[in-house]
Amino acid sequence: MKNERMNAKDLMTVGLFTAIIFILSMAAGMLGFIPILIPFLTVIVPLLCGIPFMLFLTKTKKFGMITIMGTLCGFLLGIMGMGVYWVTATGIIAGFCADLIFRSGNYASAKKGVLSHAVFSQWAFGSMIPIVVTRDAYFAKLINGGYGEEYANALMRYVPDWSLIPILVAGFIAGIVGALIGKAVLKKHFVRAGIA
Amino acid sequence: MRSDFFASSKGSAQKIFDPRTKLLMVVTISTVVMADSGGGWMSVLCWILTFVPLALFLIERKWKAALIYFCVYWGATLMQLYLLPLTTGVVNFLLVAMSFFSVRFMPGIAMASYLVNTTTVSEFMGAMERMRVPQSLSIPLSVVFRFFPTVSEEYTAIGDAMRMRGIRFGGRKPAKMIEYRLVPLLVSCVKIGDELSAAALTRGLGAPIRRTNVCEIGIKPQDVFTMAVCAAMILLFIFEKI
Repeated sequence: MKNERMNAKDLMTVGLFTAIIFILSMAAGMLGFIPILIPFLTVIVPLLCGIPFMLFLTKTKKFGMITIMGTLCGFLLGIMGMGVYWVTATGIIAGFCADLIFRSGNYASAKKGVLSHAVFSQWAFGSMIPIVVTRDAYFAKLINGGYGEEYANALMRYVPDWSLIPILVAGFIAGIVGALIGKAVLKKHFVRAGIA
Repeated sequence: MRSDFFASSKGSAQKIFDPRTKLLMVVTISTVVMADSGGGWMSVLCWILTFVPLALFLIERKWKAALIYFCVYWGATLMQLYLLPLTTGVVNFLLVAMSFFSVRFMPGIAMASYLVNTTTVSEFMGAMERMRVPQSLSIPLSVVFRFFPTVSEEYTAIGDAMRMRGIRFGGRKPAKMIEYRLVPLLVSCVKIGDELSAAALTRGLGAPIRRTNVCEIGIKPQDVFTMAVCAAMILLFIFEKI
C-alpha cells in the first residue's frame, strides 16, 4: 500500500483540494489591502485552511500528494504576481517536508497530521522573502510602482528584517491551531457525513 | 457545465489561439506587467499590454467581461491620477491599496479568466500532454482550473441558503459563520470531485496507455506570431532588469 504510485483519482483529489485551499488563501489575502495586516496573513490563512487540509489528509495515502499540492499552490500564487521563483520554491519545500512528516506517521497518525499542516502552512512564506532579502529594490518598486511613499513606509516599518522569524513561528503555531480546529470540525461534521 | 469535463468542444466558441499560447500570454502579462517598476519605455509597453485582455474579450464577444475589465482598470487608473493626491491618512491608504491592486493585478487576472473561459479542460489536457508535462502535474492543474468556477458557484448557492435562514456575516459569532459556510462548501465540493473522477476514469484517464484527444489543437500562424511577441517582451524585461 505504502509504496504504491499515485493514480488518476489521487491526482484529481489533489487538484480539488488545491483549488479549495488556494481560493480560501486568496479570499483571506484580500485583507492585504490594509498594509498593517500583511504580516498577519501568515496567521489567518493557516487558521482557515486547517479544515480543508485535515480533510485532505484523510484521503492522502501515498507519497507525493502533499508535495504536488504545495508546488501548485506556490505556482498559482506566483502567477498571481507574488514573484514566481520564491513562492514556487517555498511551496515545493513546504509541501515536500509536510509530505515526509505525514509519511513518517504511516499516513494515519493524527499528531503527525497536525505537524504536517503546520509545516505545509509555510508555503506562502515565499511572498514575504523579497520584502526582506531585496529590501531596497522592493521599496523602490513600491514607490515607483505607485503604491506611494506612505504605503511603502508603513509596510517597511511593520516588516523589519528580523520579522521573518516571528512570522515563521507565528505561522507554525497558527498551523497547529488551525489543524486542531480542522480535526475537531472533521470529527463533528465530515466523519458523521461519511466523507472523511 | 458540470458534465463537460473532458468534453471536446463547448458550442461555437472560436478557437483563435492554442492553449499553449494562451498560457504563455498569461505568464508574460503576469510577470511583465506586475513587475513593472514604473518609468521608462518599459512602462509604455506594459501599458500597451494591458489592452491585450480587453481586445481578446471583445474578439470572443465576452461583452460583460470586457466591460468589467475596462471599468475596473480605467476606474482605478483615473482614481490614481485624480483622487489620490486629494486624500491623506487612512483613506489614502485604503485607496492606494485598492487602486494599485486593481491596476497591477487586473490585467493578469483578466488574462487568466480568458484562458479558463475559452479553453475546455480537454483542450488544456491535450496541450499539457503535447508539452510533455507529467500527468502528476497536468491532472491536478486541470482540476484546479475546472474547479475555480465550481467553488464560487457553490459558495454563492450556500450563501443564498444561509441568508434565507438568517445566518449572515457581521453576526454575533464570526467563528460559527466560517463553520456554516466552509463545511457545506467542502462537502459539496468533495461530492462533485468524486463524481468528476468517476467520470474521468470511465473516459480512460489514468489508463496505462497514452490518451488520444479529439480536440483540434495545434500551432497556427497567429500562435507563432503571439509567442514571438511574448518571448520578445520577456527578453526585453530581463534585459531591462540587468
